[in-house]
Amino acid sequence: MSTQSPHTSQGQQRPVLRLQQLSRVHGSGATEVHALRGVDLDVFPGELVAVMGPSGSGKSTLLTIAGGLDTPTSGRVVVEDTDITAADRKTLAALRRRSIGYVFQDYNLIPALTAAENVALPRELDGVSARKARGEAVAALEEMELGHLADRFPDEMSGGQQQRVAIARALVGDRRLVLADEPTGALDSETGESVLALLRSRCDAGAAGILVTHEPRFAAWADRVVFLRDGAVVDQTVRSQTDSLLTGQAAEL
Amino acid sequence: MITWYHSWRAAIRIARRDAWRSKGRSFLVLAMIALPILGVSAADLTLRSAELSTEQKLERSLGAADARLTDPGYGGAPILQTPNGENFTPADDFEDKPYPEGSTDVTKAAPQGAKTLKDATGSAKLRTEHGLLHTEIRELKAADPMAKGMLTLVNGRFPADGTEVAATTHFLASSGLQVGSTLRARGFDREYTVVGSYELPDSLKSDQVNALPGALLAPLDKALKADGLPGTGAEASYLVSLPGGFTWNMVKETNAKGVVVHSRVVGLDPPAKSDVPFYQKNDWGDFGMSASARAAALAAIGTVVGLAMLEICLLAGPAFAVGARRSRRQLGLVGANGGERRHVRAIVLSGGLVIGVAAAAVGTVLGLALTYALRPVLEEYIGRRFGHFDIRPLELLGIGLLAVLTGLLAAIVPAVTSSRQTVLASLTGRRGIRRSNRVLPVIGLLATVLGAAIALYGSVFSDQFAVVAAGSALAELGVVAMTPALVGLFGRTGRLLPLSPRLALRDAVRNRGRTAPAVAAVLAAVAGTVAVATYSASSDAQQRAEYKAQLPHGAVSVIMDEAGSARDVPAVRSSVQKLLPVEVRADISRISVGSANCSVWGGSDGCGTYEVVVPPQNECPLWATDPANPDGDPAERFSKEERRKLAEDWRCQQPGGRGVYVPDGVVVADASLLKVLEIDDPAAAKALAGGQAVVFDKRYIDKNGGGGNDDGKDGTDGRDGTDDGTDEGGTDEGGTVRIKLITDTEAAGNAFDEGREAPGEIKSFRVHRAADDVDAYGLSVIVPPAAAKAAGLTTLPLGAYYSTDSLPSTEQRQRLEGELDKTGSSVMLHIEEGYTSENSIILLALTVFAGLITIGAAGIATGLAQADAEADLKTLAAVGAPPRVRRTLSGFQCGVVAAMGVLLGSAAGVLPAIGLRLAERREQLKWYQEALDNGWGGLASDPHVPVVIPWATLAALLVAVPVGAALLAALVTRSRGALARRETA
Repeated sequence: MSTQSPHTSQGQQRPVLRLQQLSRVHGSGATEVHALRGVDLDVFPGELVAVMGPSGSGKSTLLTIAGGLDTPTSGRVVVEDTDITAADRKTLAALRRRSIGYVFQDYNLIPALTAAENVALPRELDGVSARKARGEAVAALEEMELGHLADRFPDEMSGGQQQRVAIARALVGDRRLVLADEPTGALDSETGESVLALLRSRCDAGAAGILVTHEPRFAAWADRVVFLRDGAVVDQTVRSQTDSLLTGQAAEL
Repeated sequence: MITWYHSWRAAIRIARRDAWRSKGRSFLVLAMIALPILGVSAADLTLRSAELSTEQKLERSLGAADARLTDPGYGGAPILQTPNGENFTPADDFEDKPYPEGSTDVTKAAPQGAKTLKDATGSAKLRTEHGLLHTEIRELKAADPMAKGMLTLVNGRFPADGTEVAATTHFLASSGLQVGSTLRARGFDREYTVVGSYELPDSLKSDQVNALPGALLAPLDKALKADGLPGTGAEASYLVSLPGGFTWNMVKETNAKGVVVHSRVVGLDPPAKSDVPFYQKNDWGDFGMSASARAAALAAIGTVVGLAMLEICLLAGPAFAVGARRSRRQLGLVGANGGERRHVRAIVLSGGLVIGVAAAAVGTVLGLALTYALRPVLEEYIGRRFGHFDIRPLELLGIGLLAVLTGLLAAIVPAVTSSRQTVLASLTGRRGIRRSNRVLPVIGLLATVLGAAIALYGSVFSDQFAVVAAGSALAELGVVAMTPALVGLFGRTGRLLPLSPRLALRDAVRNRGRTAPAVAAVLAAVAGTVAVATYSASSDAQQRAEYKAQLPHGAVSVIMDEAGSARDVPAVRSSVQKLLPVEVRADISRISVGSANCSVWGGSDGCGTYEVVVPPQNECPLWATDPANPDGDPAERFSKEERRKLAEDWRCQQPGGRGVYVPDGVVVADASLLKVLEIDDPAAAKALAGGQAVVFDKRYIDKNGGGGNDDGKDGTDGRDGTDDGTDEGGTDEGGTVRIKLITDTEAAGNAFDEGREAPGEIKSFRVHRAADDVDAYGLSVIVPPAAAKAAGLTTLPLGAYYSTDSLPSTEQRQRLEGELDKTGSSVMLHIEEGYTSENSIILLALTVFAGLITIGAAGIATGLAQADAEADLKTLAAVGAPPRVRRTLSGFQCGVVAAMGVLLGSAAGVLPAIGLRLAERREQLKWYQEALDNGWGGLASDPHVPVVIPWATLAALLVAVPVGAALLAALVTRSRGALARRETA
């Protein structure tokens, strides 16, 4: 576990991800839906933030906008000093190769590629030679004690293994921001715990992470929990308070 | 650059593994691209291997000799020749002197110290297991070292003495004989033993028998001539071997002695053009292909290759689209991991690249292997042994590149489409109406209009097929580009339909991105089929209209017009009567000038010919030689308008040559011939019985001795009087036909050249003129035997005409043919069955092909639609729809795609075919007009180029194929869906 409190790090370090007054409106007129309303959020290195909320509260929208897959209607998204709201498609793609890693609920890995090749993919797309990218990928896998999976194809791995390889891919190279959208959603709880343990350890090693989840049990791995309802942040809590929340507000959701 | 390279490597890796993961689809596309590549590479290999090097050619024609000396038949007069000896001409001009003729002793022309080997060929009818076979006889000492390489021994050995022969394997196969059999020639008692078989590497299909010099040709010739039969026509050439070879200077020296030389040294190192007197004298043009002809051929090949690639791309494209669609989430993941649009494009394009490269490899390797394995078969098929197995890596590489290019082209559209998807849409599988491209349909419309305009221009204002074809191709591409918009139009018709078809139609229209490629594929296949079907149905109709029966339907004729065959005619006449259901038999004979062994056309020693004299007043002015200017074209005396008018004149109508091939269509026969030819003219029969000739070509009638009408146009009036029954039993119109017997054909030829009347004895016959509308099937004059005899004409049996009770069956025909094979002469048997079309099978095959493609493409689209419609089906099931809705929906989805494609394709296919036909009509009209202008009008007929729509094919495509596709899709769809799996929201 982190020896540093997130509150102390806030003062010393710049956030990896900064969301400012983020709003997103889907559709217009009668079909207008406010998915996000003026959300502010900073995520610092070494910090894992859990985002919770009911269906339709804007969790996934927050994540896709943070990763540059979607654009906000208003507000700013800054990833490692780059304002991605103003960036063009190419810059965004480059940012996803070099700064942001995604982990989805399922189908995370490209079935045609082995674990190592999946992890190496962002680097190879960036123009790194296949040999070097593979070396980095194997190193990343070994660091996460997944080295034995390197040459397996996704359909030769369990769901938990796949998700852990996906986390390895999300953090290969210099990437320091992991956006995880219910990474445990398709897994049983024990396997889910192991996946979150890995995510936690990567954050402890210096990465910043956002974890969207339904389950308070998994949110407990986070340093901070942000509650969303109808597109707005209704509550924030530091990790020390998370446990007490389990019995309180979270239970209502 | 390096970056680009590395990201492509990743893309190719994904594509390669994907291709391997979905083997069925990959195999389909691979086969589609590899098959044409296989064919083309095999054709390239075969062509290149069959091309011989100069050395190989020389070995096959000269063996190990240095040269071959041949007598050109100019009686030893000095000649000039081309280096290869294929063309030669007397050195002097013979414009005022008689052309030199006669043989010369070739051996005397050979240089001193040269060794010679005689190589003589003639021909004879040899007795086989099945009858007689006209065979080439070659007298050459094949075992001589000089002949090495000319004949390849296959079995046994070459003959060693005068009683032995060897034969080609082809002769043994077609004669039913084998090594060890005895062989006899017709008209010759001596027996020969076949001691070996061989083949001629350059001509595997020739029937040839090899004997030692003097063993067969000379004694056989003597025996035949003694029997009054034509001889073997033997000609000898000499192989020459001399130290140092036969140089060009020696060739020229030998030419001076009147002998043609084919020399090895000259062949390997031909003299400069300026050193060849032949070229100087004859102003010899290069008879090879001109540059423009080559360019035109190249353009034609280019067009065919281009069109083929276009069709393959249109067909393979949807498969890549399916692949891209199936791996949408995968492509989304690439995007989520920082893949740019170009990366996504690269992955889908790599799919095309991988399949293209695989297809290139598989196609060329299979082409190589097949050609190698089938080499003997191919050699037999083209009739010559390959020089060697000639692999041209560059050409094969080029052919392979075509496959790669096709794969890439087919994947372009799916690649661009999938790269346009937002990452989010790809990841979530979110549906919704994608705004279809608005520029593409406009471009498509422009291309369609432009292409149609070009095709229209081509068919109305020019006679260039290429213009029509190019315009049609452009228009078809345009329609393909418009497909999404057109598919949208179909959606409007959905309102009235019941649920399942309505849902299917709406779904197809909403998802144009996936419907359009499938519809385009169907469109392409159907358009091609309909175009070919329309074109061939039209030309079939044309051929049917142009078909000229040689006899009334069901009638049979046997003709034997070879020299010396008259003696076999009676036997043949009766075997036909015995074996076929003959009703009436009419024997026909021909007029012979000279001995009984002369052929119909005369010309050889002691053989003359005859002609029907056209009275001067009946001669077509366009053809009649102008005595003042015998060398000029008679038609040039008239203006264009006059020529056109004359072309309509009855004197200038020439009946098309069909039926009996005897000079001027004159046969000697009695009235039964009229019955067989179904000419119902009692007066004519009476005339024949009364010793009058019946004439069908009124140009031949000389009226000087008869009635007063001289324009020949009111023949029917004149004929009315025939019923009166004059004592001659014929017409009161009178007139005669005059037949000139020409014994000295040479003098006749000279007279013709100088515009004089040919010398000859004239026999006149009183005639009866048949009505103008009578079809005599190519006969012009029938002379009754009695009249011929009375006039002192020599006649020879020619054959017979028969009418039958019923069309002879296949068995009857086979038995007859077997019987006729045993006859000593060649028999021309004709059984009139009317026009038989060969197109119906092609049409059927095309329809089946287009149907299969349609069902395949529609099936692919249905698979896609099913994957997409999973959510709709779940909703349907939730509101209580029965499980079969799933089936009917899938069936209708397939049917909708097939129907749209077939409808658009039929329209796109009929139009270019009509355009092509119109262009063809224009071209033929142009030729016809030119012919009229030049005064050849009577020979050409008014062109008839109909346009026929193949309704049966269209109906099958329009109705049967969509219904079949729908039923098939419904059958193979499971009623119950797979369990839903939660997707990321």
